Amino acid sequence: MMTERKLIYKGAEAEIYLEEWFGKPAIRKQRIPKAYRIPELDDAIRRMRTSHEANMMHEVRKLGVPVPTIQHIDLDSSTIMMDFVNGPTLKEELYRIPTHAKRERCGSLGVIVGRMHEGGIVHGDMTISNVLSEQGKLYMIDFGLGDFSKEVEDKGVDLLLLNRAMKSTHYAFHTILFNAFMKGYTSVVGQKHGKEMLHKMHEIEQRGRYFERA
Amino acid sequence: MQFTIVLYCLGIESTAHTFGASVVTDRGEILSDVRDVYTSAPGTGIHPREAAEHHSEVAAHLVSQALSQAKIRASKLAGVAVALGPGLGPCLRVGATVARALSSYLQIPLIAVNHAIGHIEIGTLTAGATDPLVVLVSGGHTAIAAFSGGHWRIFGETEDITLGNLYDMFAREINLPSPAGPEIEKLTQKSTEFIALPYVVKGNDVSYSGLLTASLAMLRSGKRLEDVCYSMQEVSCSMLAEAVERSLAYTGKKEVLLTGGVAANKALQSKLREVARLHDAMFYVVEGRYSGDNGAQIAWTGMLAFRAGVVTTIDQARVRSKWRLEDVEIPWRNDDGA
Repeated sequence: MMTERKLIYKGAEAEIYLEEWFGKPAIRKQRIPKAYRIPELDDAIRRMRTSHEANMMHEVRKLGVPVPTIQHIDLDSSTIMMDFVNGPTLKEELYRIPTHAKRERCGSLGVIVGRMHEGGIVHGDMTISNVLSEQGKLYMIDFGLGDFSKEVEDKGVDLLLLNRAMKSTHYAFHTILFNAFMKGYTSVVGQKHGKEMLHKMHEIEQRGRYFERA
Repeated sequence: MQFTIVLYCLGIESTAHTFGASVVTDRGEILSDVRDVYTSAPGTGIHPREAAEHHSEVAAHLVSQALSQAKIRASKLAGVAVALGPGLGPCLRVGATVARALSSYLQIPLIAVNHAIGHIEIGTLTAGATDPLVVLVSGGHTAIAAFSGGHWRIFGETEDITLGNLYDMFAREINLPSPAGPEIEKLTQKSTEFIALPYVVKGNDVSYSGLLTASLAMLRSGKRLEDVCYSMQEVSCSMLAEAVERSLAYTGKKEVLLTGGVAANKALQSKLREVARLHDAMFYVVEGRYSGDNGAQIAWTGMLAFRAGVVTTIDQARVRSKWRLEDVEIPWRNDDGA
């Protein structure tokens, strides 16, 4: 049975729809063809990224990182169907919850990201817009740029991007948020490595390659 | 009685293979633009010392030609601007020496210009953009930049070699003269087959070194040169187009400006035009004759800096071969492009 499809987000690469899938609400993430690439190249890229993203979601789940459950993959239309997480992004939620809850959420995120890094996976686009909160339970999304990596450099970029995202949208609470995150992160990766990562993050920042949203 | 005062600025460019001299006015008129390009033998790249020797030989003649074509005497100049970087040390030092001498002899201010900022400013002047997302492509740069808070900020760039490097290094291996972009673009017209090559986009960044290696390997394995050129151009330009699209979505800019030597590439132009269209942005390209390195880009940027009070002294005017464009303070622009 065909049901109504509702466009809820349009990114540079993919369109996100909410629709009914076997009687339950589900998310359709569809990578859209780009006219600036010749079809042979465009098809290959969308196909490869769709399967890569699904694979990364599967891999991080094994490490104890909550992600929406994948229901269906269609490489021909570069589509992933996944469970609908009914909640706001962490970025939105942080605006409206009290300080102790802010701390609690960021601490949980630290634990999740710590598990992911310990397991040798980096997210590649680590912002609080790519974390959903369903009644306090956090889910990570958008693994299109994710990769297998144990490099301190790559993990440092994840932390830096997250720090930047917190700074640019939650300026007044930024230190509280990031400290809570690091507490959770350190509880998984250990004091020594946590310190090393923090140091690396500052070093990458000094190079001035990553900037705040204009 | 009323006077209209016009300011004149001489600009000197010598960062790589081109020595250029130009006179512009503070109204953005380019009164002269002369240059001479050092060409290396096919199959070889720029030899920095030989290029510097070339520049030394042509410098005096080109500077006087720039003044005579502009029909002004040296004593009328308000300032002399020079590209102090980024570029090849020996080449940069020729321009710097000429500019320091002129500044000292004529007793006029010396203005240090960043070559990359020059590409951006001549692009906005000749194409008419006001607050663009800039795509700077040349032998020395492959960068995506937008203006914010007094500086041009890099939103994406190459992690290894530039788009110009990719074409020139490929050309060198097959004995074509550099700069080789136009020659490679001609060859693509005769292609009949697309060959899959590595497509590497990391966020807003691109990486071309693997593409170079793979393209050369395809050639050695017996693929037709035309097909390798076509595939390499398709993949390299599509990668940049995707990185530009991400940066455009991220910054929300409503203009895209393509500038620098590789801006003349028609395939890249058409891809970026499509990216701009997808995001309801206007698309601009630097005027053709100012895409490659030239004195006018230095003269005009020098004029903007001079009017904003940015001048240097002879002892401070040292060359900076690795001068990054985001390090330059830009007091003559506002965030809204005014």
